[in-house]
Amino acid sequence: MRRRRSISRRCFDGFNVFFMWIIIVLMLFPYLNVLAKALNDGADSARGGILFWPRVFTWDNFATVITAEGFGQAFFISVARVVCSVVLTIIVQFMCAYVFTYKELVGRSGILLYLMIPGYFGGGLIPQYILYSNIGLLNNFLCYVIPGMFSMYNMIIIRTYMNSLPLGLKEAAKIDGASEIKILFRIVMPLCKPIMATIALWVAVGDWNDWTTTMYFFTRKYDHLFPLSYLLQQVLKETERIQQMIQDALRSGQDISQFQEMNITTEAVRCAQIIVTTIPIIATYPFLQKYFIHGVTLGAVKD
Amino acid sequence: MSKETMIRTISGKRTFKQSLKLAFKQRYLYLLLLPTLVSVFVFSYCCMPGVLMAFQDYSIYKGLWGSEWVGFDNIAAIFRQSKFTGAIWNTFYTSVMCIITGFPAPIILALMLHELRNKAFKRVVQTISYLPHFLSWISVVGLVYMIFSTEGIINNVMSWFGAKEPFRFLASQTVFQWFVILIPLWKGLGWSTIIHLANLTSINPELYEAAEVDGANYMQKLRHITIPHMLPTCMILLIFQMGSLFSSNFELVYGLKNPYINFDVISTVVYETGIQAGNYHMSTAIGFVQGLVALLLVLGTNWLSKKVSGTGIW
Repeated sequence: MRRRRSISRRCFDGFNVFFMWIIIVLMLFPYLNVLAKALNDGADSARGGILFWPRVFTWDNFATVITAEGFGQAFFISVARVVCSVVLTIIVQFMCAYVFTYKELVGRSGILLYLMIPGYFGGGLIPQYILYSNIGLLNNFLCYVIPGMFSMYNMIIIRTYMNSLPLGLKEAAKIDGASEIKILFRIVMPLCKPIMATIALWVAVGDWNDWTTTMYFFTRKYDHLFPLSYLLQQVLKETERIQQMIQDALRSGQDISQFQEMNITTEAVRCAQIIVTTIPIIATYPFLQKYFIHGVTLGAVKD
Repeated sequence: MSKETMIRTISGKRTFKQSLKLAFKQRYLYLLLLPTLVSVFVFSYCCMPGVLMAFQDYSIYKGLWGSEWVGFDNIAAIFRQSKFTGAIWNTFYTSVMCIITGFPAPIILALMLHELRNKAFKRVVQTISYLPHFLSWISVVGLVYMIFSTEGIINNVMSWFGAKEPFRFLASQTVFQWFVILIPLWKGLGWSTIIHLANLTSINPELYEAAEVDGANYMQKLRHITIPHMLPTCMILLIFQMGSLFSSNFELVYGLKNPYINFDVISTVVYETGIQAGNYHMSTAIGFVQGLVALLLVLGTNWLSKKVSGTGIW
């Protein structure tokens, strides 16, 4: 039988639940508020007072975002870069992690050191920019995919997971004459599905959300390579961007009358843009969270 | 095999010839490593000589090896310009405040979550608290824009309570300084509890039972069982955070910045002087100083932590 809880304990429990409700509201409210505004008529929103629920329901704001010029292209770029990065990082990092499960690898500690040094010492943004321009990655789709294919942290997590697998299978396959490469792709990788899902999802979310790569390494002329996240940045910083464009036009002596007709995106449409950019992740993460979390707890294991 | 080599092999040391033989046997493993080695070489090591730019009057036409050397002039120039020193101070101040708020908060939340009796409710709270982690920084900036704008809900609520003029949160320097501290806290809070919660559930319940038999109350159990168990992980997390003391959240600061705000951090200065203004050597110099300090901080904290609590990353 359960012991009766003391009064102080019950007070604490009550306060605890109350506190958790505050956390829920704090975490959820900003998103729900913007969602409600995105589903509300723009002119009506300006009157204010939208909390969780739209007052004058409409899909118009979403329609404006989705039919805007360049949206389809940006969506395609976002999806394409996520798919390419996930496939490439998974292959490269699994190959690397597999090799490091061999304790008797010749030169193991030296190679590990070689991989670790860049984590503590790097050239910085400008040398990176110059390097990219030298090897032709500026304004190039590959710029999204190739530089990020190796991550020390992910590699360590995969290796930790591989080390926890039963090794009997591997030995048996080796006796049967399978090569290392075959063992990795046929035996080890299928066993690693949970950690593969974790890494794939991490990479996918990181890539979907990334906009700085575009800002650093792409120019306005190549806007067909802009992903959705960068489109959002442009919408949010639109007023400044237009001012900048006017200044540029003035400096080069162009006609600025074309800018007078540009109208500023309304707040409701901006809300819709935020929702469209984030909804693929927000709608799926509650169902996939065990995979995301798996890696965090694995990464905390020290070896 | 001679007696000597046999002993060496048993003790784990190989002769050079044996190593070569073994390495040849492992050639496929090296083949698997090749993409990693090449990509790290190209994207990390090839950038490293670029640091030398910090000591040059760099010109794109002359390149890294043809540009004129100026010694420590660029680095000295950083500390003469108020724009740079201001950015360094802002970065430092913001990071310190972020650690002060962001380090204990997830520990406290994890302890409170752990005490929840209704497990389903606990799961719901956890899931919801992860939401901001999955938003990109630019979306978070978007949310802030929408909520704190003059038409936003915060100003609506303030007007219900009798505020006549909408307050321009986004154009206020003071509010901005709070934003850059509190928004990372909001974004990371839920996600950072994962490690602490995993840690809490790994405590042997028998310890608590034994303590209860001895008549320990909640605070005593917390002090003598829970905290000692959580300490090593907390220390490691703290060391990692110390390393980021001079690194700044570019995405948040740049995203939130607008013409009314005069607030720079190191990374925004690096971007603005480097890529926007084309002043490559100054930009690299300030990045170099930042990297150096970060490295020293990690080494220093690690050393201190090893002395005090016996845990470190190395």
